[in-house]
This record gives sequence, structure tokens and C-alpha cells, in this order.
Amino acid sequence: MKNSSRLLPWALTATLAFVGISGCSNTGVSYGDATAVETTSIEFGSTDLQQVAEKMVDSLLTFPPIVDVTSKRRPVMFVDTIKNKTSEHIDTESITDTISSRVLRSGKFRFVDMTKVTAIKKQLDFQHGSGLVSEESKVKLGRQIGAEYMMYGNLSSIVKRSGKTKDVYYKFTMKVIHVETGIIEWADEKEIRKVFKKPVFGF
Amino acid sequence: MSKKLILGLLSVVLFTEGCATSGIEATGSPSIQPQFAKHLVLHNESLANKVIIQQMNARTTACTYVGAKQSCVLEVSAVLANLTGSNKKIQYRFSWFDADNFEVEKDSRAWTPVILSGKSTINMQAVAPNPTVTSYKINVKELK
Repeated sequence: MKNSSRLLPWALTATLAFVGISGCSNTGVSYGDATAVETTSIEFGSTDLQQVAEKMVDSLLTFPPIVDVTSKRRPVMFVDTIKNKTSEHIDTESITDTISSRVLRSGKFRFVDMTKVTAIKKQLDFQHGSGLVSEESKVKLGRQIGAEYMMYGNLSSIVKRSGKTKDVYYKFTMKVIHVETGIIEWADEKEIRKVFKKPVFGF
Repeated sequence: MSKKLILGLLSVVLFTEGCATSGIEATGSPSIQPQFAKHLVLHNESLANKVIIQQMNARTTACTYVGAKQSCVLEVSAVLANLTGSNKKIQYRFSWFDADNFEVEKDSRAWTPVILSGKSTINMQAVAPNPTVTSYKINVKELK
């Protein structure tokens, strides 16, 4: 009985400590808002990608000469690569996917996907060369539409460090070129500056 | 003794940091400029008397013509003002609605972080995702 009364304060302290720690622990899985501002690290993240896409799409769709050519028809465009000139590994295809999806959904342009040419050709070969597909359901050959415009861009960065501060400047440049004439019809830039200051306490 | 005190203070700081919550998530409306109230959603009540929409303009742009039918896209520009003398870290997001008040291209726009300097203004501008949009809302909340 005496022993148990001695142990009681220790048991209470241990319980409180456990509750305190488990209350603050964040090891469980949870869903977050995909559109929320993400500041987990200074590297190029989802917020940067979304801001770049929003700026580029808004700018492209409201640029007067582009408004002019898209006012009565939906020109066909293809997306070339976005060159990653930064020192980070960034999935630039993800940026072009977001931009092309939004431009497509605006109803102003149509796209051809150059990454799927081989797969389409394989399907056409199957339809016309295998003898397995009925004549009436075969798609016709030589009817694909050539792209009138090409979209391409660059992502570059300047990284500077001074003591406990790291400064990263990103510049995303995008252009749309008229394939037939080689004239750049639209171009715009999005700049992002991120600063990381190492805290006095913490990790 | 002094070591114990320092350790105690450190643990309090770490404990508070680790348990910080994301703040109040209540919908408010600006105390002045009532003509813009229907377009603004303040997610933190504490912002209600500190930031206001000073100016708001909407126009149609990028019109397309299919036969006699014309369809244009809504473009919105709004000036957000900080009434206080201190810097405010905020984030904003446009949301778009069609004629039946259904949200259009939900989650197509992300929260944009900005630092609003004391007694200064910023311009928030966005283009609707497609011509079905007839109304809009600007959501503003503090950036934690």
C-alpha cells in the first residue's frame, strides 16, 4: 500500500508526459488541401508549380493577338519540353501537363500529344496490318492534323547563401511559336523568390 | 538550478511550437466597402478590420464567336489594402461560379501567398477558366 502511494506521482507524471507527447505527435496519415500554400522546404514545390501555371494560362488566354486567332477557331498546338536549367530535379513535364490541361479546358486551343505518336502508330498498324479489325471500323489513315503552334519554355534559378539565409530565385519563361512562320506569337515570365532562414532553435 | 530553468523554458517553447494550430476558420465579411462584400470571403475573423477590398473591377475578355453566339471569359482585378501599420502574411484564392451557382473548375486555382506591407495595397488578378463563369469569390486568409 505504501509502495503504491509512492509510485502514484511517478505514474501520473508518466501518463501526463505520454499524453503530452502523443497529443503533439504527427505520425498519422491525413489528407491535406492540394491547393494550400506549401512551405515544407525551399525547393520548387506544388505552390510554385500552381502559381506558374496560373500566370502562364491567364497571360496566354488574354494576350490580344492570341485572343484574335482563337476568337473563331481552336488552333492546334503541341507542347515541347520545358528545359530545367536549375540545379534541382524538377519534373517539368508535370508543369507542361498542368498548363496544357488548363489551356485545353479553356476551349481556346486543341492539342496533339507528341509523346503518344508511337502508341498511336502502333494502334494504326494493328488496325490496318493485323487482319483482325473489321473494314468498317478501321480508322482512316493520313487524316491527323498538323500542329500550328508549339509551346516551349525554360526554368532557371539563382541560388545564394549567406550565413543562415538561403535565397532562391526562380524564373520560368514560356513561349508560343507559329510553326509555319517561326514567329514567336506569345511569351511571358513568372518570377518566384523564396527565402529560407535557419531558425535559432530547431532543426 | 539555472540549467533546469533553461531546460524548462526550452521544453515550453518546443511544446508550444509543436502544438500550434492553424487558427480560426470562420467566414467573415469586411467592415467597410459593403459593395464588395458578396465577392469576398475572409477565413479569419481577425482579418476583418485589418484588410479590405479597396477596389474591384470585372470585365469580359477573350471572346469567341461560334456563328452568332458570342462567349467571353470573365477577368477580375481587385485591390486588397492593409489598414494596419504592420506587415501581413496572407494568402488568397479566386473561386468561380456558373449561372446556377455551381463552382466551376473547383480547385483549379491554388492559394497564392503574398506579403502585404503595412498601409500598402496589392493587386489580385485572375482570369476565369472558361466562359461558363458568371460570378466569383475571392477567399482571403492569414498565412501561417
